[in-house]
Amino acid sequence: MTRSASPKLGAYAGLAALGLLAALVLRLPELVLFAAPFALVAAVAALQVRTPRIDVEVELDRERTLEGDLLDVSLRFEPSDGTERMDVLLELPPGLEVEEGMNPSTLRLSEGEERVLPLRLRSLRWGAFRVGRIHLRAHDPFGMFRHEAVIDRRQPLKVYPTQEAVRDLLRPSETQVFSGNHVARQKAEGIEFADIRQFVAGDRIRHVNWRATARRGELWVNEHHAERNADVVIFLDVFAEARRGGRSTLDPALRAAASLAARYLRQRDRVGFVSFGGTLNWLLPSTGARQLYRIVDAMLDTQITLSYAWRDLVVIPRRTLPPQALVLALTPLLDDRAATALLDLRARGFDLVVIEISPLELVARMRGEEREIAYRLWRLRRDAVRGRFERAGVPVAVWNDESSLAAAMEEVGAFRRRARTSRV
Amino acid sequence: MVTYSALVGDRLVAVVTAIGCGGLSLTALALVGRWPSLLPWGFVGVGAGYAVVLSLGEGTVDARAPLLAAAFFIAAELSFWSIERRSWRSEGQVVLRRLALLCSAGLATAIVGGLLLLVASGRGVGLGYEAAGVAAAVLTLAVIAFLVRRSRVLRGDELA
Repeated sequence: MTRSASPKLGAYAGLAALGLLAALVLRLPELVLFAAPFALVAAVAALQVRTPRIDVEVELDRERTLEGDLLDVSLRFEPSDGTERMDVLLELPPGLEVEEGMNPSTLRLSEGEERVLPLRLRSLRWGAFRVGRIHLRAHDPFGMFRHEAVIDRRQPLKVYPTQEAVRDLLRPSETQVFSGNHVARQKAEGIEFADIRQFVAGDRIRHVNWRATARRGELWVNEHHAERNADVVIFLDVFAEARRGGRSTLDPALRAAASLAARYLRQRDRVGFVSFGGTLNWLLPSTGARQLYRIVDAMLDTQITLSYAWRDLVVIPRRTLPPQALVLALTPLLDDRAATALLDLRARGFDLVVIEISPLELVARMRGEEREIAYRLWRLRRDAVRGRFERAGVPVAVWNDESSLAAAMEEVGAFRRRARTSRV
Repeated sequence: MVTYSALVGDRLVAVVTAIGCGGLSLTALALVGRWPSLLPWGFVGVGAGYAVVLSLGEGTVDARAPLLAAAFFIAAELSFWSIERRSWRSEGQVVLRRLALLCSAGLATAIVGGLLLLVASGRGVGLGYEAAGVAAAVLTLAVIAFLVRRSRVLRGDELA
């Protein structure tokens, strides 16, 4: 702890000195009475001062929580020396606020007596935080000296984004070779009826279609569609975001990404993740609950990093974008580089879907004729980009405050049902 | 104290009041602006007014000086307390203990000051009072000696 004298010490010493000097010069014993308590208090404080020794521990009741959830934090003090007044401040990162308890607060710590200061925090925003940096300031009884210290007992805390409601998922056009929940075009062992054919050696008796056999006089068997899984890649555009106050386009994008990843993983699909922007982050597609935690942990590190570098798809490892994968792109369409990369994906034959996180509600309308024209031009440009996607056969749904993610997914699904992908 | 100085003095009352009010104004300014470096000058001004009254007096010891000294000290403590930059509340026991300490210090100032003044006035107040005054002075010295010894022990612990 670093020690410093408060202005009060100098003031008291000065008052005492002036009072005693005046008493001597003016020969007034009464002034000695005025000066004496100031001198005594300053002298006692100077003689008594010592650096307090305190051990502090921080305990979080859990390491992972969801957005909006409450979290209990306990600050445990074990003072070897008593302190009459101790100011305590738990440094909180943006995204966490105190719901119950006082922070900062002033405590009295008795020698050898353990004190616990409970706080209840609310997580306002998703992210990876480290909580536990404590600022201490100890005062002596008369406030003449201060001892200050910063104690680092930070512990990791992961706040996961809340999930958006999604009714129906998009059905991938192509499936993979592993078992899953999607009815594949290929014929193999399965439940969904596909076709009938003539019996060949090796076919199982239970597949015999007795009605067709009776009609044709020879053995015919049923063929079924296989149930396969699919590869889904969630593509997050982090080149730019629109932000206003506490809202941004990145927050709903992350919530949607977490929701979609959880739903696809639940139906045994392989899900991968690409965060494409100023910084690159990717996860190879995989299945299971562990993959969901990997994806969400990767999302927690997502930030918008300003960069003027041109990004190409070649920077992404090939295995991150498996062929025939369904690519779900979540983008505010603010940066041309993201749009170009997505169109490049489409040109390479990927099954691409774009969910546009609308930034219009976050853009402040500026007054003035020129600014109005600039705003309208910007909106027209965005419509043109959307048109490019649609001409390439990529469905684009706009997700804004007036619609839900489920509605945007339904809009995209309807486009895919009407359109047919052609391969040249 | 400014009012007391103005009421008790019978010469240059306007000057005494002006000095006291100047000190009060500085004190008020320091409290409003939260300037701890300005606060002691305000108290110097208030004390200076009282010192002028005593200087112009007949030379007798002011019997109310111990009470005024206690009030002056308590006012200084409360002033410094009020300008501490703290936008949060302290624990109840912290405030109570601080108030208790303040009241004890003020009371001790009044009692010890009264006894010392009796001794210093040189009046024949009786052996009992003189003994009490001597005892108060000896006690004060003993407390200081104890604290000096304790601080040496504590510093020894720190170095170890």
